[in-house]
Amino acid sequence: MNPDFLYDTARLGEVLCSDSCEVSQDELTCFRTLLGYPSDGEADLAPSSMGLTYGLRLGWKHQVFPPGVVRMGDDDLFGVPARAGDTLTTSFRIVEKFEKKSRRFLRYEMRTDNQRNEMVCTISFLAMVPQEST
Amino acid sequence: MTQPHLPLAGDRLPPSEIHITQALIDTYAQLSGDFNPIHVSAPAGEEAGFGGTIAHGCLPLEPVLQSLQRWSGRHSLPQGTRIQLRYRAPSRPGDTICSSISIRDVQASSVTLIFTCNNQHGQPVLDGECIWPGEAP
Repeated sequence: MNPDFLYDTARLGEVLCSDSCEVSQDELTCFRTLLGYPSDGEADLAPSSMGLTYGLRLGWKHQVFPPGVVRMGDDDLFGVPARAGDTLTTSFRIVEKFEKKSRRFLRYEMRTDNQRNEMVCTISFLAMVPQEST
Repeated sequence: MTQPHLPLAGDRLPPSEIHITQALIDTYAQLSGDFNPIHVSAPAGEEAGFGGTIAHGCLPLEPVLQSLQRWSGRHSLPQGTRIQLRYRAPSRPGDTICSSISIRDVQASSVTLIFTCNNQHGQPVLDGECIWPGEAP
């Protein structure tokens, strides 16, 4: 794994990776259908919970998360909703690390902005990382 | 003339629920790119001590977000909404997760709500707090 993402050598607070993606109507429809959102209303609007996926996608794409990582809790802030056709840029930081009862924890923060530099969401979650990946 | 009901501390929101299946987890993995083995590989889930696969944390949280959105009549959470939560137990295929949300405090500038999601055994799988900006819906 990239040493920037490991417990011992993580560079806290720095942007470790970022990526942009376009929100497609197909992806949005798939998400809404999967999670049971009604088909009426604003079909081009991303449900707020879709914001939780952008950082996950980035983190797994860049192999920031070690396999076996377990999410313990969230602190999430929601901004303007994403819409189909938006270009979203997500940046990824590790903002905290600590040990407790012989277990290691990292706090990840993923901020997503749209093409107008408006914050869509900032997802922060605390994760317990497997010992062998630290 | 009937006065509109203003939200008060102690008021409860209508619950929402989600039924967890492996198909749901697998499709969510495709959408989020999160193929953490504990979600998609039963042997990996067993090795990690979960006895099989577990759902992504976002899935048992979904009833909370949907209930809040229905309560407000909105299609997304308003700008400035903050949600803090702690996962208490994993959610597994076969589980039905139901939200329980109540208003804790109403201020001019925000509403504070507390929530729990329980599985079909009544076991909490997560709990937390939502700060809803502005006036109550």
